[in-house]
Amino acid sequence: MTTLRTIALAAITTVTLGPGVAQAAPVKIGLLETLSGPQASTGQTFRAGVRYAIDKMNAAGGWNGEPVQLVEYDNQGGPAGAADKLKAAIADGVQIVVQGASSAIAGQITEDVRKHNLRSPGKEIVFINVGAEALELTGEKCNFHHFRITGNAQVRTKVLVQGMKRAKALGSKVYSINQNYSWGQDMERAIVDNAALGGYTVVEKTLHDVNKIQDFAPYITKISASGAETVITGNWSNDLLLMMKAAKAAGLKADFGTTFLDQPGNISNAGETAVGHYIVHVFNGEAGGDEGARFVADYTAKTGHAPVFVEGQTVFALDMVADALKRTQPAGGTLDVNAFARAMETARIRTPMGWMSMRAADHQVLLPMVVSTVSKDAKYKVDGTDMGFKPVKIYSADEAALPVQQSCKMQRPG
Amino acid sequence: MESFIIALLNGTIYGLLLFMVSAGLTLIFGMMGVLNFAHASFYMLGAYFAYALHKPLGFWAALVVAPLLVGLVGVVVERFFLRRVHHHGHAHELLLTFGLSFIIAESIKLVFGNFPVDFSVPKSLEFAAFTLGRSSYPFYRLFMGGVAMAMFVLIYLLLTRTRVGIVVRSAIYKPQMAEALGHNVPLVFMGVFGVGAALAGLAGAVAGAFYTTNPNMAIELGVMVFVVVVVGGLGSLEGAMLASLLIGIITSVAVGIDTSLADLLALVGAGAWAREVGGLLTLKVSSLAATIPFALMLLILLVRPSGLMGEKA
Repeated sequence: MTTLRTIALAAITTVTLGPGVAQAAPVKIGLLETLSGPQASTGQTFRAGVRYAIDKMNAAGGWNGEPVQLVEYDNQGGPAGAADKLKAAIADGVQIVVQGASSAIAGQITEDVRKHNLRSPGKEIVFINVGAEALELTGEKCNFHHFRITGNAQVRTKVLVQGMKRAKALGSKVYSINQNYSWGQDMERAIVDNAALGGYTVVEKTLHDVNKIQDFAPYITKISASGAETVITGNWSNDLLLMMKAAKAAGLKADFGTTFLDQPGNISNAGETAVGHYIVHVFNGEAGGDEGARFVADYTAKTGHAPVFVEGQTVFALDMVADALKRTQPAGGTLDVNAFARAMETARIRTPMGWMSMRAADHQVLLPMVVSTVSKDAKYKVDGTDMGFKPVKIYSADEAALPVQQSCKMQRPG
Repeated sequence: MESFIIALLNGTIYGLLLFMVSAGLTLIFGMMGVLNFAHASFYMLGAYFAYALHKPLGFWAALVVAPLLVGLVGVVVERFFLRRVHHHGHAHELLLTFGLSFIIAESIKLVFGNFPVDFSVPKSLEFAAFTLGRSSYPFYRLFMGGVAMAMFVLIYLLLTRTRVGIVVRSAIYKPQMAEALGHNVPLVFMGVFGVGAALAGLAGAVAGAFYTTNPNMAIELGVMVFVVVVVGGLGSLEGAMLASLLIGIITSVAVGIDTSLADLLALVGAGAWAREVGGLLTLKVSSLAATIPFALMLLILLVRPSGLMGEKA
C-alpha cells in the first residue's frame, strides 16, 4: 500500500513538474507533410527546403539561445491523416506547423488550428502555409493564425499572362485545362479573368479528374480541334507530365503556360517539346543574379542538389519565420505564439528575387514572381538534360500583388 | 468527324493497353479464385526493368528481357510465397498480394527515387503514322495496340487450341480432378502466374516509355484494371477484352462531349431551371470522363453481378 502511494505521489510530482520542464524546451516547428504514398515526392521536396532553412536558422543561433527543433509528421497524403498528426504535434508541444503540398490538406489544417486556438487560449499554434494556393485559404477561411507564404492562382496567372505576352508567346486563342478541385477551379477562373489583360479569348475550358487519367490523348485531340495557340494550365505532377507527353506524341503545335513545370522529372520526360514552354514560379536561380547564384551554391553544398520546384519558396517562407522569431521576445522562457503571429504580420525579408513582405490584412505574402521559359541557354540545367529555365522577367511584389479578397474577415485576438 | 475517329482510335488503343494488364489478372483470378493485388505492381516492375535495361541492351532487347524478368519474379512469388499460404484460404492470399504491392512500390522508390524516371520512346519510333485534319497520330500508339492484339490472339490460341491450354483450363476449372489424372497442377499454377506477371510486365515495358515510368503507375492503372476485370467478368479473357475496349472508348469519347444534363433538359424547356439548380445538372460529361468507368462498374454489379462474359456463379 505504501509503495503504491509513493508511486502515485511520484507520478503526481512528475505531472505537476512536467510543464515546468517543458517551459525550458526549445521552439518546436512541426512539418506536417505527405511523406509517404503517391504524392510523397512533392512532400519530400517541401521537407528538403524546410530542413535546409531550419539548419540555417540554428546556425544563426536559433531562438532564445537554443536551437529550433524540427519535428516531422507524415500526413499520409490526406486531410484525415493531417488532422490526426496535427493532434500528435500539439501533444508534442509543437507551436509552429508547416505544410505545403495540397490545398485540401491545408484547408483541414487551417480549420483545425483555428478551432484549437479558440478552445485553448494561451496555447495557440500557428500555421505556416508554404505551398497550398487555393484562394479560400486567404478568403473565407482566412484566420489570424494562418500565413500563406506562396502565390495563388490569381497572382500566378496574372504574372504568367503578362510574361508570356511580353515574350510574344501568348496566342490570341487560349485553351484552359485544369484539375477539377479547388486549385484547378481557381486557375480556370483566373485564366478567364485575365483574358482582357492578355488580349486573348478562352476558346475552351476543361476540368478533369485529378491524377487519375492515364491517357491524355483524347484531351490533346480536343485542344488540337479547338485551334488554340496557347494552353494555360495549373496541372501538377502526373497530370502535367502525361499531358505534355501526349502533346508531344500528337505533335500539338501550342505553347504551354504552366505553374509547376519545374517539378523534377517533367523536363526530362517531355524532352525537346518542353522548349518554348513557360512557367511562373517563385524562384529561379538565374534570375536572382549573384545572390541567386550564391543561394544555389550554398543550397547545393548543404543538400547535395540545386534548389528546384518548391524548394526555393519553402526556404524563403522559413526565412520569414526566422525574421519574425528574431523580433519576438521570449515570455517566461517560451514563445508567445500570438506575439510571434503579430511579428509575422510585419515580416519583410530580402530574397535573391527581391523584397517579400507579409500583408497583415489577409496574411497573404506579397512576393516577386518570375516568368521563365524552357531553353537550352538556361544557366542551370535541370533533370540531367541540356535544358533549364531561362528567366523572361521578374515581377516585383507590387507588380504581382492583387487586392485582399472581400470574403476575408480577419479576427484578431484581443 | 475527324476528331471522332481519332477519339475512337485513342479509346481503342487505351483499351488494348488495359487489356494487356487485365489479361494476366483475370487468368490468375480464374486460377486462384483471388484477386492479385500485386498485379499492377508487375506492370510497374516491367516498366522499371525496361528503363534500367534500355541503356545497356537497347530498347528492343529491353522490351523482351523485362517481361521475362517480371515473369521470373511472378514465379518466385507463386512458388515461395503464395503456395505456402494457399492452404490457409483466400483471405491470406489476398493479404499477401496486398502487402507485396506495398513492398514492391517502396522498393522501387528506394532504388529509382520518387520522381518519374527518364524513359521515353526511342527517336526511331517517334513519328506520325498518319495525319488526320489538324492532328497527327503517333505510330507508337498503333504499335502498343498491335502488341496487345498479338498477345490476345496468342493467349487465346494457346488456351483453346493446344494441349497445354487444355491442361491449364482443366487445372483452373477442377484442380483436384486434373491432379488425379496425373497432371502437375502446382506447376501449372506457377506457370500461369508467371505468364500473367510477364504479360503485365510487357504492358509496363511498352506503356512505360509512352506514358511515364513513376512509382505511382501501379496505383493509377491498378484501379482501372480491377474495374475492367469486374465489368468483363472475373476469370474471362474475352470479357476482359470486351470490357477494356468498352472502357477505353467510353472514356475517350466522353472527353469530347461538353453537354450536361441541363442541356438535355433544355430540350424539354427545363434548361433555365436546371442551370439555376446547378450541381450535378450542370456538370459537363467531359469533366466526368475518368469517373464514368466506375459508374459502369456499379451498373454492371447491379444488373449482372458476374460481369459481361463471366460465368454465372
